Amino acid sequence: MENFMKPAPISKKFFTPGVIILTGFAVIGLIIVLIRLLFGLGAVTNLSNQYPWGIWIGIDVAAGVALAAGGFTTAALGHIMHKEEYHVVVRPALLTAMLGYTFVALSVALDLGRYYYIWHPLIMWNGNSVLFEVGMCVMIYLFVLYIEFLPIVTERFIGRVNLPGFLKVFNNPVDKFLRLLDRTLNKVMFIFIIAGVVLSCLHQSSLGTLMVIAGPKMHPLWQTPILPLLFLLSAISVGFPMVIFESLITSKSFGLKPELKVLSNLGSMVAPMLGIYLSFKIGDMVIRKTFVYLNEINIESILFAIEVVVGIIIPLRIFLSPKLIKSPVGLFIGSALVIFGVLLNRVNNFIVAYNPPYKFTPYFPSIGEIGVTLGFIALEVLLFRAFVMIFPIVSVPQYITPQTKFSVRGA
Amino acid sequence: MKSKILLLLIVIHFVINAQTKISKSHSYQQLNCSTCHSCQIPTKENPCLRACPRESMIRIDQKPEEGPRILTINKIKETDIYEPVIFSHLAHAEMAEISGGCRTCHHYNPPGNVIACSECHGLQRKREDVSKPDLKGAFHRQCMNCHRAWSGNTDCLVCHQLKGKGKLVSQNKELIVKRIHPEIKAPNKITYTTNATAGKQVTFYHNEHVNLFNYECGDCHKNDNCVKCHSKINTVSTSKKSTKELHNKCSNCHDTNSKVNCSFCHSEKEKGPFNHLVRTGFDITKFHSKLSCSRCHTTKNKFSGLSNECSFCHGKWSWDNFNHKITGFILDETHGELECNSCHKEPTYSKLDCSDCHEDKSYPKDKPGRLIKRL
Amino acid sequence: MVNESRRKFLKLTALIGASITGLSPRKLKAAPKNILDKNRMGVLVDTTACIGCRKCEWACKVAHNLPTLPLESYDDRSVFRNMRRPDDKALTVVNEYPAKRQEEFPINVKIQCMHCDHPACVSACIVGAFSKEEIGAVVWDTKKCIGCRYCMVACPFQIPAFEFNKAIQPEIRKCDFCFQRTKEGKLPACVEICPMEALTYGKREELVKIAHEKIKLYPERYINHVYGEYEVGGTSWMYLANRDFVELQFPKLGKNPAPGVTEAIQHGIFAYFVPPVALYALLGVVMWINKNRKKTVEAE
Repeated sequence: MENFMKPAPISKKFFTPGVIILTGFAVIGLIIVLIRLLFGLGAVTNLSNQYPWGIWIGIDVAAGVALAAGGFTTAALGHIMHKEEYHVVVRPALLTAMLGYTFVALSVALDLGRYYYIWHPLIMWNGNSVLFEVGMCVMIYLFVLYIEFLPIVTERFIGRVNLPGFLKVFNNPVDKFLRLLDRTLNKVMFIFIIAGVVLSCLHQSSLGTLMVIAGPKMHPLWQTPILPLLFLLSAISVGFPMVIFESLITSKSFGLKPELKVLSNLGSMVAPMLGIYLSFKIGDMVIRKTFVYLNEINIESILFAIEVVVGIIIPLRIFLSPKLIKSPVGLFIGSALVIFGVLLNRVNNFIVAYNPPYKFTPYFPSIGEIGVTLGFIALEVLLFRAFVMIFPIVSVPQYITPQTKFSVRGA
Repeated sequence: MKSKILLLLIVIHFVINAQTKISKSHSYQQLNCSTCHSCQIPTKENPCLRACPRESMIRIDQKPEEGPRILTINKIKETDIYEPVIFSHLAHAEMAEISGGCRTCHHYNPPGNVIACSECHGLQRKREDVSKPDLKGAFHRQCMNCHRAWSGNTDCLVCHQLKGKGKLVSQNKELIVKRIHPEIKAPNKITYTTNATAGKQVTFYHNEHVNLFNYECGDCHKNDNCVKCHSKINTVSTSKKSTKELHNKCSNCHDTNSKVNCSFCHSEKEKGPFNHLVRTGFDITKFHSKLSCSRCHTTKNKFSGLSNECSFCHGKWSWDNFNHKITGFILDETHGELECNSCHKEPTYSKLDCSDCHEDKSYPKDKPGRLIKRL
Repeated sequence: MVNESRRKFLKLTALIGASITGLSPRKLKAAPKNILDKNRMGVLVDTTACIGCRKCEWACKVAHNLPTLPLESYDDRSVFRNMRRPDDKALTVVNEYPAKRQEEFPINVKIQCMHCDHPACVSACIVGAFSKEEIGAVVWDTKKCIGCRYCMVACPFQIPAFEFNKAIQPEIRKCDFCFQRTKEGKLPACVEICPMEALTYGKREELVKIAHEKIKLYPERYINHVYGEYEVGGTSWMYLANRDFVELQFPKLGKNPAPGVTEAIQHGIFAYFVPPVALYALLGVVMWINKNRKKTVEAE
């Protein structure tokens, strides 16, 4: 039984020098958020009537959604394809997705001029609006993710409910409730898992449709009717690299041995996906003859080239090499490049490609915008660390027999 | 069948009647129906009037003094921002004299009296037929064309004064009533130095074109406005203009395309005033000097195409219908009843040849009569 | 055991499928008012008649209760030195383009919302805060707007502006074709004040006819192009000019409505919810097969 891997809370010191730096970023980010809430978007952002969307949408929302794709791709692999060997990565991926989408929602709220009306789409519908569809899907998916996460919470607390003070009397009922909840969830979880995958496919692609309506305002290198397909393909491609990347970092951070075999197997699946993504991207470029724009050297063409070469072709080569995907370094670099590629693609689509006909000063994110973006990323990492230390998420080698029967989810 | 024919006849009768009963102002004018109407049978309900411009039928030629001296424009009340404008009609009419006269502003006037702008241009901006501007638009389009070119700006306060705010000088009624445009002094002669390769000098006798050739100001200055004299912006230097543009004014009457004609106006030194003998080879000083040009050049602004043969204008002469006395020479009895061509062999009757009858006589040594003082 | 779980599974799948499809007709109807009335109004802007007096800017601000300088100050032509755009403080602005030849006048172009026949903002708005009204106006509803600014991304004419410096209830601001005034039977404020009637207000259908008649009558005055007749599927505001519209900084746009491709994709993905439900069913079957295979393996 000594190789038996089981998710468990990791007990370590929370504060390390790295964590303190991240906390600093998070605090600065939150202060800027406060200023934005008090004085409006104009006070902290470089947004203007020419550039209505900045990095809060481009990075925090669009890239955030894409990089949280690990959640639905591993769910599809682990639960729908029923490959149990990947269950060790399902929970970290789920946590990443949950935190990721939570911060997507927060970023959206922050970017909304009237954040307190964020509930409006629930009752005011516009079926023609892509944004409406994205919003609804993200909202429902976030709810689904929370449901999917619930079993981890019940697992953590069943048999361990210990309320403070006079609330002690509720210990027993709460415990009973948790057990009931766990049983019910166990039976219906598959509904939510499939729904999660469907919703992801829908809004990952629709996120691409978002910019189609901008029409001639978009640089032709990116403006294409198959934008939704490209977005979906790139989101699927970045799912596993994201899991690999984060698993490697987590193991390093907590001093655990990385699950290299599982990660290599995941890595071997990246190449075909990247290949499909690349072929569609190049195919689209050839059909629409947009390669002519690569002749003129400007920010757009350079960033497009980087996106394709550094973000797709080089990692594709890495993931095609049987030797490299067996080494942590190879996996790490390959994954990092895919993540960088997709991140850059989202930034390109939402910011670089957006070329309004009338502009006075070109857009570059303000310190406030960068501060909030960095702050949110820092906060996400901190929360990830905290969740991993509170809940049974990361699988660690077990030497003792499990105390409860609620050990492995979805078995 | 009969009743149908009857009905048809009645209908035709009414149609013809409807057509012939057009208001009187139409009937005495020699107008082509299609100048104004786009359909075959216009009715009062559906006159199917053609859109402006109908410049070809403008019929107003009045002197500036015949119009009103000032007009107070107070018909437009939609917006309540400005006081009514007092418009110095006389001064503007005088200004317009040099270019198009009345028609500069009264761009369309049916035959008869001058009609008010509001006859065609409605007072309401919100209206059914928006194909022509409303009165406010029509006024401003007339004013701004010149005012803008003249002053280079569009300040409203040049003509308008805000309600309840101090009086503008331009809106002082007493001053406006007295306002006239000073008489425009026409030049006699203008000498242009051109950059033509041959014949740099062009001498333009303005007085001749006006007095001798009877051109009206508008014939040449139709498109000129105030800027011509009052420009506050520098005028375009002639070097920037094309040859065609430079000749624009003259080419209405002179053929400026043909290279052969250049020397008609261009020469190396200043040209003298108009001389009929020099220009055309026909001396008018002897017998025609008192005639106005139009006695012979009957088509307005057309001076070519006449022959120097007397019969071209006067018809055939013979001894019984020509009083030789007016030439200052009375024929004696012997010669009095001879045919003209017995002595005058040429159709210009200039020379005298006695050789038909007399072998030893010649004019002016021997005379077939006696010289008298010319009548 | 297997049978039971299968029955349960199918029942649940069917239930979910039904509940989602049940939503679809309602959802398809859930679109904002987007009417293309035959008698919708429009404005024909004759840029050759406009003199750049900027009275429309003043009237617009007064009509919309926006702060404005006194009327006399609008005679100042120095503002034309810079190109301006409508923003949250001015819903319409006039720009000037220098004359090509000295004897010509400079060209002034008034800019405001074009009030598209197939507006991108109406299609894009997440909560349906924009609507195209019978009269032709594209208007915005402050009660719905959440301030996402997707309308600004979508607009092909780059018109909607946002009050970036307001923390509470910032508004999307754009010309509303004086929706309130026209409801009361009045003219749009800019049309009413224009001294030259460079702005002609009338039924769009008629304006198109008038525009072409003008071009026919004065071929030397206008180029043969009515901007807005066909651009992005037609707009309520249309322009006449004496030079190519690109030189007057009008965006060069095709004849297809701006939201066309997007709506086609969107409704393709969501065609009566068939694709998502089909995907759901497919994944369900795959999951069920895989689960069963596992169980059979275990049983053996």
